[in-house]
Amino acid sequence: MSGRRFYQIGQRPAELMLPVRGDAPLNRRRLPFTRRHLLKWRSRLNPKTLRQERYLADKKPLWWTIALVLLAISAPFLSNSALTVVSVFCIFTAINLLWTLIIGTAGIFSLATLAVVGIGAYASAALNVYLGLPWPLMFVAGGVAGLIVGGFLALPSTRLDGLYYALLTMGFAEICRVFVQQLKPLTPMNGSINNVGSFISRDWFLQRPGLLLGFAGAFVLMLLALLVFRIVNSERLGMLLQTAREDEAFAEAVGIDYRRARLNVFLISSAGLGVIGAFYAQFYGSISPAVFSLDQLMLLFAMIVIGGLGRAEGAAIGTAIVVLIDKGLLDLGPLRILLVAAIMLAVTLLTNNGLAGARDQFRAWRSRKQSEARARRTEKGGEVMPEEAIEIGDKQAIYYRRFQKRLRDRLKALITPELIEEHRQRPLGQHSDALSRVLNHFRRGEVADKYAILRQAGQFHSYKIVAFSGVRGAPPRLVDDRVYTDINEAYHAVFLLRVNDLMES
Amino acid sequence: MDIPVTLAHGLSLAAIYGLMAIGISLMWSSIGMINMAHGASFAVAGYAAWAVSEAAKPVFLAAFGKGIAGTAAMAGLTLSTGAAAGAAMGALIYLLAFLPIHDKPNFPVRSLIVTLALNLATVQVLLWWFGPRQKNLPKIFGTGKVEVFGISARYDQIGTILSTFAILGLVLLWLRVSRKGLEIRAMMQNPEGAVLSGISVRWTALPVTMLTGALAGLAAILLSQTIFVSPTSGAMPLIKGLTIALLGGLGSVPGAVLGAVIIGFLEAVIGAIPFLGQRYVLFGTFLFIIVVLIIRPRGLGGLLDEARK
Amino acid sequence: MVDVLEIEGLTAGYGPLRVLHDISFRVGMGERVGLVGLNGHGKTTLFRAISALVGWQSGSIRLLGREIGGTRSSGPGRRTPGIVRAGMAMAPQGDAIFPGLSVAQHLDCGAYTPTAWRERRRRREMVFDIFPPLRKLEHALVGRLSGGERRMVSVGRALMVDARLYLIDEPSLGLAPKISASVIEALFSLPQDGRAIVIAEQNVALLSGRVDRMVGMHAGRLRGDVGHVSLH
Repeated sequence: MSGRRFYQIGQRPAELMLPVRGDAPLNRRRLPFTRRHLLKWRSRLNPKTLRQERYLADKKPLWWTIALVLLAISAPFLSNSALTVVSVFCIFTAINLLWTLIIGTAGIFSLATLAVVGIGAYASAALNVYLGLPWPLMFVAGGVAGLIVGGFLALPSTRLDGLYYALLTMGFAEICRVFVQQLKPLTPMNGSINNVGSFISRDWFLQRPGLLLGFAGAFVLMLLALLVFRIVNSERLGMLLQTAREDEAFAEAVGIDYRRARLNVFLISSAGLGVIGAFYAQFYGSISPAVFSLDQLMLLFAMIVIGGLGRAEGAAIGTAIVVLIDKGLLDLGPLRILLVAAIMLAVTLLTNNGLAGARDQFRAWRSRKQSEARARRTEKGGEVMPEEAIEIGDKQAIYYRRFQKRLRDRLKALITPELIEEHRQRPLGQHSDALSRVLNHFRRGEVADKYAILRQAGQFHSYKIVAFSGVRGAPPRLVDDRVYTDINEAYHAVFLLRVNDLMES
Repeated sequence: MDIPVTLAHGLSLAAIYGLMAIGISLMWSSIGMINMAHGASFAVAGYAAWAVSEAAKPVFLAAFGKGIAGTAAMAGLTLSTGAAAGAAMGALIYLLAFLPIHDKPNFPVRSLIVTLALNLATVQVLLWWFGPRQKNLPKIFGTGKVEVFGISARYDQIGTILSTFAILGLVLLWLRVSRKGLEIRAMMQNPEGAVLSGISVRWTALPVTMLTGALAGLAAILLSQTIFVSPTSGAMPLIKGLTIALLGGLGSVPGAVLGAVIIGFLEAVIGAIPFLGQRYVLFGTFLFIIVVLIIRPRGLGGLLDEARK
Repeated sequence: MVDVLEIEGLTAGYGPLRVLHDISFRVGMGERVGLVGLNGHGKTTLFRAISALVGWQSGSIRLLGREIGGTRSSGPGRRTPGIVRAGMAMAPQGDAIFPGLSVAQHLDCGAYTPTAWRERRRRREMVFDIFPPLRKLEHALVGRLSGGERRMVSVGRALMVDARLYLIDEPSLGLAPKISASVIEALFSLPQDGRAIVIAEQNVALLSGRVDRMVGMHAGRLRGDVGHVSLH
C-alpha cells in the first residue's frame, strides 16, 4: 500500500455556498412586472449536513455591477485629466460593445465602426450647426444616419465573406475621410465642424463641472450600450445566431432565418453607433476627419482583440488596457503604441480568443491533459481511477471490476503450454486443479459471444464453431469456416478460442 | 489627357502594385496566412536601402565616378539591399506570425491580427528611430526620357516595368520548375501528404515568407523613385496590394496580375481626367473594386485548382 | 544485424480514447510482415503512431536503432518529416494525394533524398514498370484519377526513395479485386534487399503465402501466431 501513488481526486472548482433562511423556497427577486429573475440562484441539498444551500450559478452580473459602481463612485475624486481618460474609456467601451455585437453575435467582420460613428457625428453636427437642430434631437438624427449607413453597408455583407468584407469596410472608412475633406463648406476648417451644441453648456466646457457632466453622459452611454448588448445577445436574435455560428447548414435546415437575424443585428448596432457618434460630437464640441483615420481604427481593433472577440467583458477589458496605455502613458511617445502592439501580439499568440477567454482555455487544456494522462494510465477493465470513480453512480460496480480483474490475472498465470496440452489430450473428463479452475471460469461466462459447437445438419462427424448472440431470436454467428471431423478437436478449438480471449482481455 | 503619358504611368503603377498583390496572393495560397505587415516590410526595406546608400555614397563615388557605371553600381546596391531587408522582415514575420500558431485553432484570423500588430509596432519603431521626415533614395535608372514607339516615358518608368516583368517571370518560373516550388505547391494542397513525403511545413513556409518579403522590398525601391521613403509609406501600397489581390481573387496569381494591370490603368486614367484629378483616384478605384466584388464575390481569378478556399 | 523497427510498450490514442495498448513489435531487415485485423482495431493507428501523426503516444519506437518515439501529447506531424527522412515511407489509408499535381510531380515529391532526386527520371520509369497503367497517365492530374490509379500513385510515391521500411496501409481498400491483386503483386515483386515491408490488410487471403510473418491486431493489442486458430 505504501508504494502506491495517490492521484488528486475531483476537479470541481470551489463554490461559495450560502445558507437558505427559513423554510421558504428560494427567494429570488424579479424585475418588476416580469417573470425574469435578477440573479441566477440555484439550490442544492448538502448530503452531509442535510440542509438546503444556495449558490449563484452565473456570477458575471455581480462583477459587472461591482466594476460599474466602483467606476461611478470614484469619478468625482479623479483629477481633470484622469476624468477625461475615464470618459474616453466609457465612450470607446460603448463603441466596442456594439462592435462586438457585429463581429461576435452576427459574425460579420466589419471594420466600418468608426466610419459609422463618424457619419452619425457629422450628420448630427451638421444638422445642429447649419440647420439649428436642438441638441436632444441630435441623438435621433445620429441614430437615423447610422441606420441608413448600416443598411447600405449590410448589402455586400451577404455576398462577400470574411476578409473581403473587412477590407471593403476599411476602404469605406478611407473614402469617407477623403469625401468629408472635399466638402466645400467644410474646407476652410479642414473638414471639421465646430461649435456643436451639446448637453454640456458652453462656459462649462473645459471646467470641472463640464468634465463631470461629460463623464456622467459617457457613463450613461456605456450603460445603454450594455443594455443593448444584453438585449440583442441574450434574447431572441442572439439565440438564433448562436446556432448559425456553429453550423449554418443545420440552422438553415431547422428553419432559422439567420441571414435576416444578422441583418437586424447589424442595423441595430449601426443605429446605436450613430447615436454614439452624435454623443461624440457633443462631448468634444466638434468633429474632425481624424475620426475616420486608420490609426484610430487600429487602436479600436487592438482593444477588442486584446479583450477577446465576441464577449462583452472582452470589450471592456481590452478597452481599459489600451486606453490606459494610450492616454495614461503619454510621456512614452510613440513607444506606447509599440507597447499596445506588443500586448496584442502576446495575447494573440498565446490565447485562442483574447483575455476574456483565457480562463476557459486554460481549464479546457488542463482537462484535456488530465484525460490523456488518465487514458495512458488505465487499463481496460482494470482498477478504476479516483477521477472516474466519482462519476460512477453505483459504487458496487467498482469492486466488481476489481474482483474480475484479479480473477483474470490469476487465471492468466495458470495458463501454460502444459495446460493446453492436457486439454488437448482429454477435453472431457478428470482434469487437474488448474484446468478445472480455468474451465469453470469459461463455463460461467455470459451467453452473449459464448462459443459453442454446431453439428452440421444432415452430416456425420462435421462440426463448426459458432458464437451465441445473446439476443433472443438472433441466430448464432459462424466464427470461421473450418469444419472439424472429430468432436474432441472441436472442444479443443473452443478452448483455445476462449484462452485467446482471456489472454487479451 | 495625354494618352501616351497616361499609358506609361498606368503600366508602371500596375507593375509595382502587381509585385505587392502577387506576394499577398502567394502567401495566402501557399500557407494560408494574410500578411498585413507587408506594408511594414515595404517601409523597412526603403529605410535599409536609404541607410546603406547613404553610407556607400562616398565610396561608390570615388570608385566609379558619376557616370553610368556609378549609377548602375548604386542601383545594384539599393535593389539588393531592399530585397535583402524585405526578406529579413519576411523571416521575422515567419518567426512571429507563422511558427507559433500555424497548427493552432483559428490560424487565419490570428495570423492576421499578429501581422497587424507587427505592422503597428514596426511603423512606430521607424517613426521613433528615424523621425517623421521623408528620405530620398538615389535614382536607380537615372533621370531622363526616351521615346519608344512614339510614347515618351521616363527612364524609371521603363526600368520599373521591365524589371518587374523580369522579376515576376523569374519567380513564377521558379515556382513551377524548382523542387522548392513543388514542395510549396504540395504543401498547400495536402499538408498530411506533404509531411509523409518528407516535406516539412516549417521549412517550406520560410522561403515563401522571405520571397514575398523580398518582393515587397523591391516594390519599395521601385516606388521610391516617385515617392519618398517614410514610416507610413507602406500603408497605401499595403491597402492597394490587398485590394488588388482580393480583386483578382485571393490565392490566384494570374488574377492578381490582371487586377494590378486594371487598377494601374484606372488610377492613371482617373488622375488624368481634368475635373476629377488626383483626389478622386482612391475613391474611384475603391468604387470599381466594390462593384466588381459584388458582381463576382470571388474576384476575377475565379476558381483555379490551386487556389485555397 | 539491427532490426529495422523495434517497438516497445507503445500506447497511443486520440484525446481521452486509448487505441493502442502496450504494443511490442519487431521487424527485421528485409522482412515482409502482414498486419491483419478488422477495421477499427488499431492498424492504422499503429502506422500513424510510428510516423508521429496520432493525438498522443508514449513508449519507445526505434527505427534502425534510432529512437523516434517517446512521450508526446500535441503537435501531430511535427516530427514526421524527420522520421520519413530517417528511412521510412508510408502509403496511408486515403492516399494523401495532391489534387492539383500531376502523376509525375507526385512521384517527384516522393523522391526526397538528393540521390533519389537526381535519379528521379530513372526511378519514375521503375515505378511505371511496376504499375504499367500509370505510364500513359504521366501528366494527368491526380485529382481526376480513379481510386485504383490513385492507390497506385500513392504506393508508387512511397517506392520512389530507397527507404528501409515501407508501411502500406490497406492497399486493397475500395478497389476491385483484380486491381487490388495487381497492386499487391507489384508490392511483392520488389527486390528484397534490405527493404522491410509491413502491409496492413483486412483481406488475409491476399497476403497468405507471400509474407514471411503474419501478425494479428485486435482491439489495439497484437495477437501473435501462438494459438491463433483461423490463420493458416
